[in-house]
Amino acid sequence: MRRQRGRLGWAMRWVLFALVVLVFNLPIIMTVVTALKPTAVINAAPPQWLFVPTLDHFVTVLTDRAVDFPLYLFNSTVIALGGTLLALVLSIPAAYAIARYGIGKRTLLPLVANLRAIPLVIFAIPFYLMYQVMGLLDTRTGLIIIACIINLPVALLFAVGMIQDLPIEIEEAARVDGAGTLTVLWRIVVPLAQPMILALAILSFIYAWNEFLFGLILTTRDAVPVTVGATFFTTSWGVRWGPIAAAATLSVLPPMVLGLLCYRYLGRALTAGAIKG
Amino acid sequence: MARHETAGSLAVERPGTGRRLRVMRRRRDALMLAAPLVLFLGLWLGFPFLTNLVYSVSQVNFETLRAPSFIGLDNYARAIQDPAFWGAMGFSLRFAVAATLAQVLLGLVIALALRPLLVRHKALMALILLPLMISPALIGVMYRLILNEFVGVVPQYLAMVGLYPNLLGPDWVFATVVAIEVLQWTPFAILLLFTALQSIPTELYDAARVDGAGPWQCFWRITLPLLVPGLAITGFVRFIDSFRVFDHIFVLTGGGPGSLTTSVSIYIYRSFFQQQQLGSAVATSMVLLVLSLAALYASMRLMLRKGEA
Repeated sequence: MRRQRGRLGWAMRWVLFALVVLVFNLPIIMTVVTALKPTAVINAAPPQWLFVPTLDHFVTVLTDRAVDFPLYLFNSTVIALGGTLLALVLSIPAAYAIARYGIGKRTLLPLVANLRAIPLVIFAIPFYLMYQVMGLLDTRTGLIIIACIINLPVALLFAVGMIQDLPIEIEEAARVDGAGTLTVLWRIVVPLAQPMILALAILSFIYAWNEFLFGLILTTRDAVPVTVGATFFTTSWGVRWGPIAAAATLSVLPPMVLGLLCYRYLGRALTAGAIKG
Repeated sequence: MARHETAGSLAVERPGTGRRLRVMRRRRDALMLAAPLVLFLGLWLGFPFLTNLVYSVSQVNFETLRAPSFIGLDNYARAIQDPAFWGAMGFSLRFAVAATLAQVLLGLVIALALRPLLVRHKALMALILLPLMISPALIGVMYRLILNEFVGVVPQYLAMVGLYPNLLGPDWVFATVVAIEVLQWTPFAILLLFTALQSIPTELYDAARVDGAGPWQCFWRITLPLLVPGLAITGFVRFIDSFRVFDHIFVLTGGGPGSLTTSVSIYIYRSFFQQQQLGSAVATSMVLLVLSLAALYASMRLMLRKGEA
């Protein structure tokens, strides 16, 4: 009796799990399915689930002359990588100063942490004006700076926690041997914290890749990221749902593949970022 | 306090020659480590902040960017008196409250129900977390596809059972944009609450069972009270993000129909590009900044006091 109830319980959990995954992932599932459908099948009502998949829409997206999608993919890659690297390079040394010397613990750390809670649109107007003056409008450099700012709160909080969790004895031993602060940071802290830094880098890359608001305001042609580029398709292509779906699929692929491969790291980074925030 | 001790211990040196010198050198090193970040923030946040401050009390448009003329607090008065601003504030608040409540509640139920499964098969969490990796702007594009009246699955299947609601029309649009937010971000609540659940020591349940407590009593007397901090953090984090919503609503409805889904972020974005008067748009930003910081400060105080009690 009890065993039967146990088995039923597990079956129900699997059903619930399947339902949850299906409903939460409905947008991406439908988008991929639509991207693979021939145009005639897309427009069929009721929806057809059996069809011969085609890659035509992907070819259309990647070769269309009106919308330079490969450039958008390249832009997003450069912006996300650059923004992630810059955020790490700025936050890890500062986090070391905060965690080990207590410098900036009362001002710098809360200031940066609060950035996470402020609607970023507040800075949209001055950034537009500043970038106009500095010639950074519609440049990848401009968006790398934005990506870095977006990632700084999580990066700094996460890095402070990460360094506090490292054993201090090894650093002290190295100091007795005459190592300077930079040597300790580069040769001891960074290698010890490598898995954590990787987790942080993945999370930052995904956040930077997914940014939309500043991409929309600060770019027009040369530095357009895929999040903005994919919406160009929606407006300029009207009802051509096949290419729209293919563009959306290509745009979410990199962060999703990265996230799936490293979901363990990602889960850890997400939780830590939230709890310490 | 323990952190302060570890922080100090590097600076403690064996007594001897040059001890003070070494302590000073360490301090200098630490300042140099923090300096790049401070300079970066000073340039990229300090400067925009000052720009906002100056323009918010000036008469300025795109032609007179370099020569704004001072007009006092008129922009602020106009910003505060604009009913559209408070309409947008109202939308963002209602949106954030509704979405946060739904996410926390749904996240809690799912985390509790699926906990044994997720403990046994850890990799399953990856499939639940998938929506978190998708850009909200692209989620907007995807729902344009799903909700499209001709090719979208949702209207097509609803039509088959005789329902023809216009999900982006005035009656349904609020529920639709809230639902999209909830469906994308509930996985985050599941992750946080699952982690919180896992940190409750199992001995508590063993002891309660020995004392004859049933599953309901265990839930109300052990799980729920111990989950309060986790629920508060989840709600707080999700509220902050939901309040400043822009991407998926902008792509899906552009803030409409009318101004029914104009969030504060969309309102400021629009005021910037659709008005000649930059001053009042910037003043609105400053009002929003002050209100956000006040709300943040108040909630931090509240959470800290609750944490101490």
